[in-house]
Amino acid sequence: MSPVAEPRAGRRRSGRFRAGPWAWAFVLAAAACLVLYAVGLVLWEVRPGTLLGMSYGIAAAVLLTGAALYGLRRRTMSTVSRWRLGSAAGWLRLHLYGGGLFLLLVLMHTGFRLPTGTWMWWLWLLSLWTAFSGLAGRALQLWIPRVLASGLSVEANYDRIPELVAELRQRAERLVADCDPSVQSLYARKIAPALAAPEQSATFFFDVTGGARARLKDLDYLAGLLSSAEKEKLREIERLYRAKLEIDAHYTLQRLLRVWLWFHVPPSLVLLALVVVHIFTVSYY
Amino acid sequence: MSNQSKKGSFSDLELPVAKKYLTPARRRGLLWIGAGAAALLLAVAAWDFLGRQGELFTAGPLSSNHATFGSDCAACHQPFGEVASDRCSVCHEKYGDALGVYTFAAHYVYRSNDFQRVTTAENETACSACHLEHLGREAEITLVSDAHCLSCHDFGSFNREHPPFELAADDAGLVFTHIHHVREVMQQQGLVDVERACLHCHNAQPDGKNFEPIDFDRHCDACHLTTTEKTPRLPLREPGETAAGVLSLASFQADGGPAAQWAFYTDPNEYRQLGRGVTKSPLHHEDRWVMENLRALRRMLYPDAGLADLLRSSADVPAGETRVLYEEALATLREAATGLRGRPEPEIQEELDRIEQLLGDLERALQDPYTPLDETDFFLALERPDPGLGEELVAEIETLVNDLTGPCQRCHAVDRATFARVQKDQRALRRAEFDHRAHILQVRCLECHAEIPILEHLDDEESTDVAEDRAEIQNLPAIESCQACHEPRQASNRCVTCHYFHPNKTRRSELLLYLDTDEGRNRAREEQTSQTFLQGG
Repeated sequence: MSPVAEPRAGRRRSGRFRAGPWAWAFVLAAAACLVLYAVGLVLWEVRPGTLLGMSYGIAAAVLLTGAALYGLRRRTMSTVSRWRLGSAAGWLRLHLYGGGLFLLLVLMHTGFRLPTGTWMWWLWLLSLWTAFSGLAGRALQLWIPRVLASGLSVEANYDRIPELVAELRQRAERLVADCDPSVQSLYARKIAPALAAPEQSATFFFDVTGGARARLKDLDYLAGLLSSAEKEKLREIERLYRAKLEIDAHYTLQRLLRVWLWFHVPPSLVLLALVVVHIFTVSYY
Repeated sequence: MSNQSKKGSFSDLELPVAKKYLTPARRRGLLWIGAGAAALLLAVAAWDFLGRQGELFTAGPLSSNHATFGSDCAACHQPFGEVASDRCSVCHEKYGDALGVYTFAAHYVYRSNDFQRVTTAENETACSACHLEHLGREAEITLVSDAHCLSCHDFGSFNREHPPFELAADDAGLVFTHIHHVREVMQQQGLVDVERACLHCHNAQPDGKNFEPIDFDRHCDACHLTTTEKTPRLPLREPGETAAGVLSLASFQADGGPAAQWAFYTDPNEYRQLGRGVTKSPLHHEDRWVMENLRALRRMLYPDAGLADLLRSSADVPAGETRVLYEEALATLREAATGLRGRPEPEIQEELDRIEQLLGDLERALQDPYTPLDETDFFLALERPDPGLGEELVAEIETLVNDLTGPCQRCHAVDRATFARVQKDQRALRRAEFDHRAHILQVRCLECHAEIPILEHLDDEESTDVAEDRAEIQNLPAIESCQACHEPRQASNRCVTCHYFHPNKTRRSELLLYLDTDEGRNRAREEQTSQTFLQGG
């Protein structure tokens, strides 16, 4: 059910990293480019305008376009399925490894020199930003599912979280209606505000349970003073509250992935436009 | 939710699963904002391109050399093409839009003087291929990378595969010892620093790159050819007589010709004539009486000396500098013509006509870039003495030559009745430039010029004739000496640090005449011998 399901997470947790064909292709391509660059440094000059430098630039532009197609694929699923244009995993790997190689090629295109013009600076910085924000996204994509799977018992689809929180609140309110006044009082003070709506908290980045043990201390104390029937009801309320905290953890961490998109997608589109302008100006002038 | 079946729930809380497949929410805001920013950028680009010539999208500021062009992109650029070199030449050639001294053809003949290497314009490389712009105001666009040079010159870097220096021949025509002179200068001037003694004679040119030519009056006259200097008693002969003797001052005065002007204005008291012999004292540097008598004796020995007869010393000039010989011959002829003008005798007038014709030929040869200067005219005539003189007379004349030039031979070499030419300008590098000023603060003179062991023998008064101390010893550092500092971690070791791609422009007009016309190019291709119109800067 998780939108951030990681197909290979189980394999990674086995403790042994196995590089797939994409990773090997990336390593080989990067090594070939670097060797060619080193040879170029000795024999010729590597600048954007030289044959080698321009080749790097063209290859970088092609890879950027290829990486950008991943976003387009997600929005044309029916066409992609009809024409059998590869699996999502394949496109994602093209996006990831292509983006990494794009950055390397951009740096080699410029001869590992800093740019001089204002627009060249924008182009260079946006290339770095897009590539590194992509790497950051990939890191989040690996880390968040692992964290969510490690300490939580509830999985939640991000878009269903408000609905699930409402379900938990309704169940808790039904239970509380038949409870002892002391339980009702505690519920009203401590639990009802927490069940009102999904909440995000930075606590979940450090403790995915959201400090549940400390929050449930009052309930434990009250349970010692109640009859066994009331205690059973309180335990059910505690389970609902604990589930709500886990759903909040999903809400916080999954939201981070969605916020990350704002840092990656719009700059990438601006970068694409800048590359188009760059190609035109280089050709024209 | 209690009516949810087991199948429709998840987790131990039995939370309900979604009733239908949940399509991930579309995040159009992301795309709209990104696409909007991209569209705005493209709009700015279009506005800038159409209204401001793409000023915003320049790859970087122009170098300070071209900063005045500012945003006038069209001054250099043309749509969908590289920067045309004719745009560069509009300013750099001063008078037009045709490349002249900046062509590859000019580069080929520069230094090498080999006109066979001149190629046609199809092989021309654009200026912008080497001189990269838009790298910032402080960028040095003349600092072309080695890669450009190495694409033709198969040398590798300066520190790995550079060939040894190609040096001009040093001064074998002079008898000179450095150690003795340094010691004398230090004593006379009261110097402590030995390098001050170097600078006593090696005076830097204003730009500090090289040194002024050594000048006798400035550097040697204080000690050499003092008033007591004199020739031995030399036998006299009459004009026109074929004998081992010198001509008296009166003979020169009576003869007219090149020496007549000088002969009437010289001091007759310097000549002491006793019977059929004469002694001259004092002697001067380039003493005209000695030189004219030497010329007369040489004419006797080598009657077919041709143009070599017009020179004051031998024709040994560095390759590509034959022009100097022609200019010297011209000066002699002009002086001869001046001495003969006003003389009414028909034979003199006939001689004058011959000289005038020679003068005209030489001047035309110098001015016409299409006529090769043939230095063989100066060399071939002195192969062997006139066999008609007889061995005995030749030996007597050669002895007389030695007596006449005896005081001179303390410093100058004399061969075949000719003074060996002195390379006064001290330029040794033929293909590269060296800037002494740039080095003198880093290293001392004798750290590089170490072949003659001056310091070792400076205090050794006995060592007056050290074997390693000869004028013909170059005393120049080998390439390894330069490589010690000019390597990637220290001083620059780029090709352009020492070599200029484009020719020295002091002879721009001749170069342009030669290279800028079809005729020049055709003749250049046909040319078989090395030419001398261009000399290394």
